[in-house]
Amino acid sequence: MTTDESYIERIGNSRRRRFTKHLLLCLASIVMLYPLLWLVSSSLKPTGIVFKDLSLWPAEWDLSNYAGGWTALQFPFDLYLVNSVVIVVLSILGNLLSCSLAAYAFARLNFRGRKLFFALTLGTMMLPGHVLLVPQYIVFAKLGWLNTYYPLIVPNFLATSAFYIFLMVQFIRSLPRELDEAARIDGAGTFRIFWSVILPLCKPAFATTAIFTFISTWNEFFSPLLYLTEQELYTVPLALRQFIDSEGQSQWGQMFAMSFVSLAPVIGFFIAGQKYLVKGIATTGLK
Amino acid sequence: MTLAPVEDLAVSGAPVSPRKAAKPPQDRSGYLFILPWFLGMAFTIIPFFASLYLAFTDYNLLNVPNWIGLENFAEMFSDDTWWQSVKVTFVYTFVSVPLSLAAALGVAMLLNRGVRGLPVYRAIFYLPSLLGGSVALVLLWRYIFGLNGIVNAFLGFFGVEKIGWTSDPDYALTTLIILHIWTFGSPMVIFLAGLKQIPAMYYEAAAIDGATKWQQFRKITLPLLSPIIFFNLIQSLISSFQTFTQGFIFSGGKGGPANSTMFYNLYLYKQGFEQFHMGYASAMAWMLLIIIAAFTGLNFLMAKRWVHYDN
Amino acid sequence: MISRRDMLRTAGLTGLGLAVAACGRGFGGGGSEAASGKIELNMVWWGDAFRAQKTQAALDLFMKANPGITIKTEYQDSGPYKDKLATRFAAGNPPDLMMMRMDSLREYADRKSLLNLNDHPGIVDTANLSQAAVNLTKVGDAVYGIPSGLNAIGFIVNKTITDQYGVTIPDGATWTWQDLAKFAKEVTDKSGKKVYGTLVDPATLANLVVYVSQQGEDLFTADGKFGVSEATLTAWFQMFEDMRKEGGFPPAGFVETTGSSPDQSYIAKGSVASQIIPSNGLLGYNKVAGGNLVLLGIPGEATAKRRGTNIGTPALWSIAASSKHPKEALRLLNFLINDVEANKAMGTTRGVPASTVVADAIKPTMEKDDQVATDYLIGLQKQTLVAVPPYPKGASGIQDELTAVAPEVEHGRLTPAEAAKKVIEAATKALSQ
Repeated sequence: MTTDESYIERIGNSRRRRFTKHLLLCLASIVMLYPLLWLVSSSLKPTGIVFKDLSLWPAEWDLSNYAGGWTALQFPFDLYLVNSVVIVVLSILGNLLSCSLAAYAFARLNFRGRKLFFALTLGTMMLPGHVLLVPQYIVFAKLGWLNTYYPLIVPNFLATSAFYIFLMVQFIRSLPRELDEAARIDGAGTFRIFWSVILPLCKPAFATTAIFTFISTWNEFFSPLLYLTEQELYTVPLALRQFIDSEGQSQWGQMFAMSFVSLAPVIGFFIAGQKYLVKGIATTGLK
Repeated sequence: MTLAPVEDLAVSGAPVSPRKAAKPPQDRSGYLFILPWFLGMAFTIIPFFASLYLAFTDYNLLNVPNWIGLENFAEMFSDDTWWQSVKVTFVYTFVSVPLSLAAALGVAMLLNRGVRGLPVYRAIFYLPSLLGGSVALVLLWRYIFGLNGIVNAFLGFFGVEKIGWTSDPDYALTTLIILHIWTFGSPMVIFLAGLKQIPAMYYEAAAIDGATKWQQFRKITLPLLSPIIFFNLIQSLISSFQTFTQGFIFSGGKGGPANSTMFYNLYLYKQGFEQFHMGYASAMAWMLLIIIAAFTGLNFLMAKRWVHYDN
Repeated sequence: MISRRDMLRTAGLTGLGLAVAACGRGFGGGGSEAASGKIELNMVWWGDAFRAQKTQAALDLFMKANPGITIKTEYQDSGPYKDKLATRFAAGNPPDLMMMRMDSLREYADRKSLLNLNDHPGIVDTANLSQAAVNLTKVGDAVYGIPSGLNAIGFIVNKTITDQYGVTIPDGATWTWQDLAKFAKEVTDKSGKKVYGTLVDPATLANLVVYVSQQGEDLFTADGKFGVSEATLTAWFQMFEDMRKEGGFPPAGFVETTGSSPDQSYIAKGSVASQIIPSNGLLGYNKVAGGNLVLLGIPGEATAKRRGTNIGTPALWSIAASSKHPKEALRLLNFLINDVEANKAMGTTRGVPASTVVADAIKPTMEKDDQVATDYLIGLQKQTLVAVPPYPKGASGIQDELTAVAPEVEHGRLTPAEAAKKVIEAATKALSQ
């Protein structure tokens, strides 16, 4: 066999392989896209036929769900969107700041009580949240924080999310230690190392944290429900729930329409944020 | 003490080689870094230990709790529904976690390099996970898994009889497992982020040495990705032991049909908030913590064999 | 390509702008009551935005007539509602006036969390309530709430379907369970299984209680025990299994677990011809089922040992024992119960008004289906029925067991007798805790 033949065969192989890859991905994409298509389709059906018309292509069209849903509740829907955005933006800032500080300390610094503290952090992650609701509610009530955004935001600035701490710890620990040591030899202090060495290399972890915080805060239903009492402060999930009632006449069409509207920022944020997922060591390189 | 296994976690870095055995010097600035965390304990640790206390009481949400010792814990062992909830949760966890992680890693590797339209695929594959919190989801599931839903329609094509994916006690849990695997977006994103941490030059060097893709995967990807795999494993274990929303939405909060989707956390919720047995619910919560901590600890122990940290 | 600094700046500015926009909302404190010198009542209930509009209209009337009182309302879907209510009670921060689930009443009342209305006589006027309505909320000598509206279960039949297949609808006043089985089988047979004759959920306590009462037993005895015999429970499950075998009842696995609102019902989809509904749902069901529903009584009423149908309520209005303003809360309660204009504004979203005077007065303003349901209820209140007192603590455990075993019977994993045994065991345990 000449080199030429093997070369041609390799090209053919890789082309066939690329084709199979795309075919597989496309098939999988259909399965993955289904819920979104279904949501859009349902938002375009009149409420009465949502449960009767099972096809993706609406048999009857009703475009009024969007305009109607926007104004159906006590306040126009943009108010709820803005409320959610405020909470989400501050939560992301809080998580990035406080969790990265704590994660760096847990991953790299050596101080008394570290193992215990880290174990406690993981422990809080393992306890089902339902039994914490009442004590937490009492704490926030004592602080006079009911019907404010504080219970939803402040804990994020105080590194209460074990998940993100753990995530960042794992990322920091996978970074080569020579980096720290080299910086230390150059005379950098602990904070300096954190700021100029570790942080820049943890962009993927940061992007992940930001995306996850966005999604979970954006979708969070029960905490806002518990702590917010005035409609004016309601977030998007609370608003969405008001379209339906298990006993009454639910406005399904409007609910789907507003669900789709509220999904758009999440998808947008994910697409914007995912760029940073790919900016790790691989692209910045080891200097 | 339940936290004991975690003691073994190699926070200081994986197996310390004898040469480096001397610990780095104490660094007090660590306390400065975890200062916010200390303050945050008010919101986590107080409720955490409050629930531990309540586990030994007959707390009913409305009256002052009375100390009843280990009664709540003893009660669990004679509670058929509790055993059922343990069974459901274990089956769910041990089937769906490996499968969804494998799917997530597989897709992440596929998407990691050399695919045109990568950002689009990534977003698409993440979509089902984005929808996770939506109230619309329950209707979607019915639409897909209903008797006249598309899954049955598809299977009907091959002559399979209609299956009660949501209404038959033999199938309901399977349906939920399928749904879990389908929403592999979160671990996938983390894998992707982790894969990007691996310097491309390693692969280039390996390719020059004539290593096959499989060898590259075994020798480069797996070890270097292992801290992230480990994170995803622990994280998926913990969250699937605590599965609530899926079960709640799926069965309208009932855990049915015939308790076949009565997840541990769902039963805990029903005890605490529907039957006002918050003391019992707290005890259940701590029992689950022990179970999860045991599995997590086991993983941390085994991690020493396969998780590679750079030191 | 946007640089990191640009991105940060944009993010910072956006965050700042939004925070400013949200200022005054969300980051302020509470305490408006002290500032304005007004009394502020917190009232909570469950429902949807439609019910919210109707309720707010009534509350506006109240606030106009009582300038010293403002009312802050909150509402949710019934699921999260009960969780939030329990949490608020647990934290010592309950609302003043609240909608209370009938089956949670004693969970709260027995733990001294609700105001006994008899402790404050003379504010809430119950003179126009029927005895049936008053009985609903009595726990011993105490009264812990007023029904926010009345209902009873009724049987609806889709006449469009029966006409289509030429099946005669039995007489709703005199029909028996055998008649139901016969009717259901006929529908299924004549439609070639396109439509099943009937669907009754054997796992719903509100359905079971009627049948139990017809057999001369009480769901709960006077001393708070489970009063249903194994034989009755077995017969109950057996009845539906027989109907399933004959074809009148849908096959196992037909009923799916999600959703319970009218538009998700099988009668709305046209796959069953009849089912049991709460009577105040007639309007809603008729809207989604084609507008040709006929309301019948429950089978067996004319021939049974005693009547089984009872007057119930979807919910009560209760007041927290720790309310800082019990007098004002009671006045509001009285207004909601007895004020005609308020009830005209509210409509029948919570069932037929408990006051017969108010019910008569607002009847002409109702839609036709609501009038039919109201007549059904007014008629029932004039008859001698067996009162069903509030369920004792632990009743939800019995409901859970019923919900768990019914599908097991349906799928043939338990015989009706075995299921009955399990329910009784669970009930005994749940009530003893």
